[in-house]
Amino acid sequence: MRNLIKDIKELVEENVISKDTAVKITEYYNTKKKDSKNRLFVIFGVLGALLVGLGIVLIVAHNWDNFSKITKTIMAFIPLLLGQFLSGYTLLKKTDSTVWREASAAFLFFAIGANISLISQIYHMNGSLTNFVLVWMLLSLPLVYVMKSSFISLLYIVGITFYACNLGYWTYPNVEPYLFWVLLIAIMPHYYTLYKTHHQSNFFIFHNWLIPLSLIIVLGTVAATSSILLNVAYFNLFGLFYLIGKTSFFSHQQPKNSYLILGSFGMIVLLLIASFDGFWEHIQRTFTGEKLLRAPEFLSSVILFMSSLTILIRTPNKTHWKNTPLKYLFIVYTFLFIIGIFSSIPVILVNVLILGIGIHSIGEGVSRHHLGLLNYGLLIITALIISRFFDTDLNFIIRGLLFVMVGVGFFVTNYWMLKKRD
Amino acid sequence: MKHKKIFFYIFIVIALVQLYVPVQMILRKEKVLDEGVHFKFKTAPIDPSDPFRGKYVKLSFEANTIIVNDKNWTRNEAIYVLIDTDSLGYAKIVSVSKELPENTSNYIKAKVSYVSFKSPYRLTIQYPFDRYYMEESKAPIAEELYREATQLKTTIAYALVSVKDGDAVLKDVFIDNTPIKEIIQEVEKIEKN
Repeated sequence: MRNLIKDIKELVEENVISKDTAVKITEYYNTKKKDSKNRLFVIFGVLGALLVGLGIVLIVAHNWDNFSKITKTIMAFIPLLLGQFLSGYTLLKKTDSTVWREASAAFLFFAIGANISLISQIYHMNGSLTNFVLVWMLLSLPLVYVMKSSFISLLYIVGITFYACNLGYWTYPNVEPYLFWVLLIAIMPHYYTLYKTHHQSNFFIFHNWLIPLSLIIVLGTVAATSSILLNVAYFNLFGLFYLIGKTSFFSHQQPKNSYLILGSFGMIVLLLIASFDGFWEHIQRTFTGEKLLRAPEFLSSVILFMSSLTILIRTPNKTHWKNTPLKYLFIVYTFLFIIGIFSSIPVILVNVLILGIGIHSIGEGVSRHHLGLLNYGLLIITALIISRFFDTDLNFIIRGLLFVMVGVGFFVTNYWMLKKRD
Repeated sequence: MKHKKIFFYIFIVIALVQLYVPVQMILRKEKVLDEGVHFKFKTAPIDPSDPFRGKYVKLSFEANTIIVNDKNWTRNEAIYVLIDTDSLGYAKIVSVSKELPENTSNYIKAKVSYVSFKSPYRLTIQYPFDRYYMEESKAPIAEELYREATQLKTTIAYALVSVKDGDAVLKDVFIDNTPIKEIIQEVEKIEKN
């Protein structure tokens, strides 16, 4: 900053810029400095509250036997009351300060969890972890809106995802955590506010990662009897993410475009799975139309397909389909899956499709001088070759040659591109 | 300013709910402790290969199985266990059912742990009070004491549990009629000297 002021002074003296411009430049950098200072405060404030909060949880883990039950109970309520007092004070006196809002809310969040688990310990309650997390999250959710706290929102998303996993994957017998979807919708207004008002903030970027990741993790819990159909549901989910990532709003966010990255990567992985013969044999062996209409996998597939289709149709399409063929992939996959119920032809088509996507990505990388896209394309082709290594009777020499070719391809293209950049 | 106030009032309501939930938990448990019937559950040895749990002593009970008519019980299913006191003063199981028992409050809401495959179908119950929380430094000593006591035929270890209308609260764990906490204090005193 000092250097800058010196430079500006020099520039004014040498008549390179006018005095007005000099004042404007100084003002611009001053406000910018303030901004980054504020951001640092938020980070440290939240980190501080997080550490204090975690400290409380650790103290909880170390429960004190020498106190009477009443003393223990009173001590369990102290952090909670303190957190509530701080949050109340923030709402009355410090509403405009992000640091106060985020930090006091974070403290209160951990105090709620600590309080409930302490009470459980005092009474030797062996309650389920699932219920504990659910109660904790429900009691914390309103803080997101009243305190306008994005940090709590992130913790809440992690919490409800854990709740859904515990119920849907880690409990026997599995219970479908339908409540998760309601809980997730409950956070959407906050996400929307972030999108509208703070789409440059780190909090928004974190939400852009955590929300799709949470959906990817939890979608599998809907599996009931037609679990093979989950592939379609997942593919349409990734297709949806990809389309969201391609909307004009998100496509400016590169390279932090979480939706595009997750969507594209997810679709490729599912296509690679479908490039094996066994996948289609499994469909033909296990798929039945029986009770299909009531299967949650079927319903989620339909909902996700319709959502993707809506976005595809509704967003203005400026580019030619050849430039973004992945946008239509969910339709192709769903169609192939339906054919796959009756015949094994799709396995060939899927292999051709992956090869095409790989080549397309390499082409894009070359024409846009984008190393990431280029290597992504090469990786896709490599993955395809490795997959075919397992289930084809190709001669070992041919397999070896293929690998050598791809390896050379990596070297040559990267070298060529880097050289061209210089 | 008015806007600010509204948020503050909403927050007050939220804060009250945040307090109400744990207070409600306490009141419910206190009611069971106050009005419930006390049962002594004789403890059984725990699996020694069970990993050390740190903050609590894992308890196992002698009265935790019963013969049922069929094997139509699923793991983790909620059941109601009707209990009574035997001639020696310890808790015994009268019956288990999937429906809420009537005309009595001496029952515990528990879970099915497992049912044997072949007849006679033996149902093992998972009680909601199989953890006795202690300070980290004391739990290992307590667990050792508990293990010794349950393996020796001469000592009797039991858990005192208050039961009322399905809810159960673990009051204390005794070894030969002395609370385990007091025994630990004695042990610590001896170790210090």
